[in-house]
Amino acid sequence: MKPIISLRDVAVRYKRSGNVFRKKSYFDALKSINLDIYPGETLGILGRNGSGKSTLLRIISGIIRPDRGRMVNHGASVSLLALQAGFDPNLNGSDNAILSGMLQGYSRREVQNKLDEIQEYSELGEFFFEPVRTYSTGMRARLGFSVTTIISPDILLVDEVLSVGDLHFKQKAERTMVEKIQSHQTVVLVSHSHQQIARLCDRAVLIDDGISFATGEPSKVLSIYEERLAKNKIN
Amino acid sequence: MNTNQDTKSTLPPFNEVIELPKQFMRNKEWLKARTLWAVLRNSYPTHAEPWLQGAITEISCDELELAGHLLAHARNQFPNNPYTYLISSELSIKNKQWGEAEHFLQQARDKDPDIPQLWIKSAECAEHQGNQKQASIFNEKARQCDPNAPAAFIQHAELAMHAEQWELALERWEEFRSRFPEIPAGYLRASEAARQLDRPKKARQLVLAQQYGADILNTQASIHDMPKLHGGHTSPGRLLELIWTKAIFNLRSEVHHNYLSYGWWILEPLLHMVVYYLVFGLLLQRGGENYPIFLLTGLIPWMWFLKAVNGSCNSIIAGQNLMLQVGIPSVVFPLVSLLQVTLKQIPVFILLFGFLWLQDYSPGALWWALVPIIVVQTLLTIAFASMVAAIIPFMRDLSFLVPTGLTLLMFLSGIFYDYRTISPEWQSLFLLNPMAFLLKCYRELFIDGILPDMQTLTWCGIGSAAACTVMMLTYKRLRYIYPRIIME
Repeated sequence: MKPIISLRDVAVRYKRSGNVFRKKSYFDALKSINLDIYPGETLGILGRNGSGKSTLLRIISGIIRPDRGRMVNHGASVSLLALQAGFDPNLNGSDNAILSGMLQGYSRREVQNKLDEIQEYSELGEFFFEPVRTYSTGMRARLGFSVTTIISPDILLVDEVLSVGDLHFKQKAERTMVEKIQSHQTVVLVSHSHQQIARLCDRAVLIDDGISFATGEPSKVLSIYEERLAKNKIN
Repeated sequence: MNTNQDTKSTLPPFNEVIELPKQFMRNKEWLKARTLWAVLRNSYPTHAEPWLQGAITEISCDELELAGHLLAHARNQFPNNPYTYLISSELSIKNKQWGEAEHFLQQARDKDPDIPQLWIKSAECAEHQGNQKQASIFNEKARQCDPNAPAAFIQHAELAMHAEQWELALERWEEFRSRFPEIPAGYLRASEAARQLDRPKKARQLVLAQQYGADILNTQASIHDMPKLHGGHTSPGRLLELIWTKAIFNLRSEVHHNYLSYGWWILEPLLHMVVYYLVFGLLLQRGGENYPIFLLTGLIPWMWFLKAVNGSCNSIIAGQNLMLQVGIPSVVFPLVSLLQVTLKQIPVFILLFGFLWLQDYSPGALWWALVPIIVVQTLLTIAFASMVAAIIPFMRDLSFLVPTGLTLLMFLSGIFYDYRTISPEWQSLFLLNPMAFLLKCYRELFIDGILPDMQTLTWCGIGSAAACTVMMLTYKRLRYIYPRIIME
């Protein structure tokens, strides 16, 4: 099978800008990433905090470009599952849903056609037409996730979002994600939960210190990861 | 003898007493069950249950010899009870004496062929003896006996699993799931079969289906019938729609706080004008009797420009979170601010026209020239505001200079005074400032009632349009730069 996205030796270096009192310095977020994403698969990304996972998602989604190496996208649309993107607390749930959907690439009409579904999914009832600033954190999270359920790019990037709202809604959200994964959606999933990666992913890649350290079957990559974590603790 | 009689007559009915030991067996409290069954064997020696259930309990406690004695007694005492042979066969299976087990099962089947458990055991026995075919036949009987009991169907699929016929096993598990969707084995064991077939995706799917419900196995992309995203923000139509919607929503959000809500759109510029009029018209005694008109025709177009630049100068930095979440072109941010300000200026302009009308500067035939003037100012504002917005993320210090720069520009644009009052050799230099030139155009049209210098206006328009184009190209080039420099 041909990959839809390939990364070859991708590196990203952030500049820590200097000023009159401080010298410029650099920070290598990614040093060398080699990765292929195949259509229909669920790819898990593992790595410690600060290992460059978020930067990698930004590269894949095309928000930023690498400083070195190549990322080839063979014509796939990519979206980061962005919870509460562009939410304005003064607007009501419906307006925020429209805005959020449009920011993620849909036309106003397309989102409006889905508003009923979004309202129903969010379980907000009449609160859907109240300003978001009057919402509780959980309600806001529910609205945020509900909007993203309508999004179906070729590749969906998910960054630790499966913990929204109360237990009931969390399960519902997880179920929706699982449904997406089961459909032909290509998903790239960042998660700290080893169990989640093992359960949901076809393949996993371990990012360590900005390098794609291991790629392959989730169980194998997970055991390499755990080994490395244990080693680091000892040192 | 008498006492024995007494105890017998006072014994509770058998049906009631056997509930307790059965309860213990269900709870796997074997020792308690053993004791009770032993007592019941003594008290109710003519009932088969204490002997047979007692034997099962002994087998569970690994007391095989004792179980053997109990069963031998049962075979003597209750030779017509099929369960006597069924349980005897269980002990034989435990002792791996397959021939003997088969012999007992045969006898049980002769007594009562309608016990599914019997057929299941027979199949198990046959399988152990390597007779797959016979096992299948027995299993089929078991399934026919009670189609609502899962055990026979589990065995049906397991037979295929043991024979390593994984495809067949998958099929059988699927049938099992359709009959008993609640039983985990239908998913988990099928998942094992899929793994053996080297189909990890299917294997995972089955495990997930066990957790999230069987219907996820059938949702093949049908749940989200949203059109696939393609290109998204790349089409200019989408982008304009987004800018328009965002600007309108921002305005809606803005008025939310205020009691006077939309009233401020008129009130705020009016107050501005009153302040300038008080200072320049009354205190400093400038301008003469037409001064209010002169001031308004300069101040209102200027405030549009001023607010647009002020509003958009930090817009890219303000949009940083959004830029990192969704891949929208950064030019959206200044354009939204610009449109937002412009929409707010429309009622103010209408107010200006009304005011002029009341003051006998009624709209003349030349007012069509207002269209090109406003177009040129729009282009100029877009070019200037987007340029300032583009530079500030690179040099944030500049944002401190913007207000000062705009104040300087305000004084250099001739809002409070007529450019003709400055010395003539400076006038042409003064009018090189496009805002000064535009204000001159507005006033010529509104106050003097003459057609402004259309040639210069055209050049000014071409220049602004060119600057806009350059800015849009610049934004395109910087598209991937902004999300980064904002993080850095």
